[in-house]
Amino acid sequence: MITQLFTKPKTLNFERTYEAPVETVWRAWTQPDMLRSWWGPKKTSIPECEIDLTLGGRIHVVMEATEEMGKYQGTRWPMTGTFTEIEENSRLSYDARSWTEGEEAGTTIHHTNTLTLSEANGTTTIKLEVSITQIGAKAKMAAFGMKWGYKQQFDKLKELLERRT
Amino acid sequence: MQATTFAALGEPSRLQIVELLRTGPLSVGEISDALSIRQPQVSKHLRVLSGSGIVAVEPVARHRIYHLEPEVFEQINDWVDSFERLWEVRLDSLDTYLNSIRAKPTEDGSEADG
Repeated sequence: MITQLFTKPKTLNFERTYEAPVETVWRAWTQPDMLRSWWGPKKTSIPECEIDLTLGGRIHVVMEATEEMGKYQGTRWPMTGTFTEIEENSRLSYDARSWTEGEEAGTTIHHTNTLTLSEANGTTTIKLEVSITQIGAKAKMAAFGMKWGYKQQFDKLKELLERRT
Repeated sequence: MQATTFAALGEPSRLQIVELLRTGPLSVGEISDALSIRQPQVSKHLRVLSGSGIVAVEPVARHRIYHLEPEVFEQINDWVDSFERLWEVRLDSLDTYLNSIRAKPTEDGSEADG
């Protein structure tokens, strides 16, 4: 069904293995002072980082473009979410939205995030699933899934136009 | 991303029209029949959709045929791709960070393994 393509969230999956014990990786994700050390890409800073590690507690992180980003300097990208699952050293889930400050209507992206951690021989493997459930104010969409639809539809258009001539 | 794109797609009937147009270009009448929405309403929705560049119209014989414009959807795709890249960068940066704190005293004074 076409409808299902539109209501299905877009899911991103990541997996990494780190040379660190699981407790350290867990702390890197859940302690603000540690999280802000790695959360932002180059040329950004993390001026705000609050984590209330309880069920229903808030995670709030703001990335800000530094001087090095030139004309984007001062642009802020907040993320605010709520923890929905907390199993120490093993599983962390939160629902969140991210946006560009001042352009909320056009940039908001809603996502659910599930992080699982497991340790073997002193190395920790994390799996992260990020599902984009909604973009904008209420466009629950997987317009993301539309890519492959283009060709088919342009072929049809071409056909129609050719039939005319 | 344009706020108008999201607003245009946020309306259920308009989203239905976009879904329907995925199957191929259609006239107002065909859209109206397929979705059981009155023609004037369909026309109104199509105006909003074309106003934000989501659909475009092409005259075919005596009909006006509406089709999706790929650009908006490509922008949305690019945007999602940038979200994905951000996570890739972030998870690599966590690796760098974890290596940098290895064997150094951590936050709570305990010693990280390594």
